[in-house]
Amino acid sequence: MARQGRVVITGVSTHWGTELARTLERHPGVGQIIGIDTSAPDADLGMTEFVEADIRNPVISRILPGLEPDVVVHCGILWYPEKDRPSRALHDINVIGTLQLLAACEKIEGLRALVVRGSAAIYGSSPSAPSFFTEDMARHYPLRTRFQRDIGELEGYFDNFARRHPAITCCMLRFQTEIGPGLDNPLIRYLTLPVIPTQMGWDPRLQPLHSADATGALAAATMNPVRGAVNVAPDGAISLSRLLRLCGKPAVGVPPLISGPILKRLGDFLGSADLQDDGRLLLRYGRGCDNRRLREEVGYELAFDAEGAARDFATKESGIQSLFPAPHPGSPVRSVGRREGPG
Amino acid sequence: MNSADLALEWASVVQSSSERLVRRMAGEYHEDEWGFDEEFAEAAFPIFEFLYRSWWRVQVEGMKNVPGHGRALLVSNHAGSVFPFDATMIGTAIQKEHPLPRWSKALVLNWAFDLPFVSYFIRRIGGVAANPANLTRLLEQDQPVMVFPEGVKGFGKPFSERYRLQRFGRGGFVEVALETGAPIIPVAVVGSEEIYPKLGESSALAKIIGAPYVPITPTFPWLGPLGLLPLPSRWRIEFLEPIDLSGYGPGASEDRSLVFDLSEQVRETIQDALYKGLVERGPAYF
Repeated sequence: MARQGRVVITGVSTHWGTELARTLERHPGVGQIIGIDTSAPDADLGMTEFVEADIRNPVISRILPGLEPDVVVHCGILWYPEKDRPSRALHDINVIGTLQLLAACEKIEGLRALVVRGSAAIYGSSPSAPSFFTEDMARHYPLRTRFQRDIGELEGYFDNFARRHPAITCCMLRFQTEIGPGLDNPLIRYLTLPVIPTQMGWDPRLQPLHSADATGALAAATMNPVRGAVNVAPDGAISLSRLLRLCGKPAVGVPPLISGPILKRLGDFLGSADLQDDGRLLLRYGRGCDNRRLREEVGYELAFDAEGAARDFATKESGIQSLFPAPHPGSPVRSVGRREGPG
Repeated sequence: MNSADLALEWASVVQSSSERLVRRMAGEYHEDEWGFDEEFAEAAFPIFEFLYRSWWRVQVEGMKNVPGHGRALLVSNHAGSVFPFDATMIGTAIQKEHPLPRWSKALVLNWAFDLPFVSYFIRRIGGVAANPANLTRLLEQDQPVMVFPEGVKGFGKPFSERYRLQRFGRGGFVEVALETGAPIIPVAVVGSEEIYPKLGESSALAKIIGAPYVPITPTFPWLGPLGLLPLPSRWRIEFLEPIDLSGYGPGASEDRSLVFDLSEQVRETIQDALYKGLVERGPAYF
């Protein structure tokens, strides 16, 4: 079994930082977990030591080496504003924070691995894109949106760091958008609206990543980091229209002339901030990622494919009531569910 | 069949289609990872079947050259300035005439995926954005894939240039075939180049809507939507002898001159078959 002695998690108070700490606490291969963030996590993490520090502050270069970590996991990259982190601070947190963190990592003696929880948004969404991006394709497509440029910039620093420190295994994880019961993010808020506005004439292919797999893959990469970028995406893909039908949500196509202002207002309402443009393009052209590196090199077995994640979300999420409920077995509508068999 | 039987049959048709509708509204149907929706393709099939049988009276040769299983790269000429129907007709031919019918994917010009409605319609019936990564992945999944290496140059050529094959891109399809060991099956489609005789094009309109070109035909755009109706030419689709590339071994795809030679060989094979096919078919419309 893979063993990692001391693991430092930056951004431990974010949802994914806390979830990672919780998972690693149960992992026999982990010696000690230290969490760094500007405020203490909401959840009670019994075995995680908390250090209050801001990664944007150069002080981090003195604190981090003192903790003597074997692995640093950076969960502090934000896609949308969270508690205590307004949208205007996102660029600072994502880019400057990562830069400071990398500077601090240079000073750590005996650091074995650096794992960054990044985003598949770096690939963008476009009509000419491959249906499944592989990790080497990120550089072939222009960085259009602000969030994409931020991710591109910090990945640039990260690559540079990896080149200069061949002894450290540097792993950049590119996550597709997460979905799951009980989760809160702009996509979930979008899917739980009573009526869902979509862009008329568009039906993107999406790869919702189940929250259990999001945490599982992050923990797996912490225990067994590989060099370079790794896509974290489910098998398969699901179109938005089918996702909405599984959730039992009525979709309303918004015609192109008025969709701009409407979607902008919607974005403000959902709190997606920097994701506004990314979200608009994603919900138009979709995005698919190849996950072979995750499965074969990191060795993580995904529990849910794209459809499974959507189904799990639709059945467990409270507040989603189907307008078109699937008929029960034995109802007059006979063929339902028969064609695909169990599961 | 008496009227009661007929009524019963209709009732069952209505019931099964309403069942399907209810099931689909609940999201209970299958899509593959490319967004291909088999049920949707089946529902759209009668339209293509009508065009195939009655409108274009398609005659098929050499179906034995299409493998019933495993990867296969179907390379065809490309035509039909307003809407290239050739991909749908090749697919329909395989569905109708092959002893082991299966759905094939087609690589479609990226511009089509930037069009509302069209983009998802094409995707649901088996269209995939044209790029080497998609082609490689599809062939590795042992699917039959249609490619049209002439691209826009092919289906946008004027009527006077019909059946004169354009340059075959950069030979990217040969590279992928060499890498994946997929056999190349050249396909010569006769008839597709007469469905929308392109007499000219409007570059101003093309600039406005961002299209590669906007064709002008005897009926389009003069008759409005009616001008979109393709002319009922007589079609002949010929599947030619497969070209086996598996003997070249790994690394052959790096050899530019080999790639160009093979690409040119495929092009000439199709060009010859087109000339012969034109004679075989006879008059274009009647």
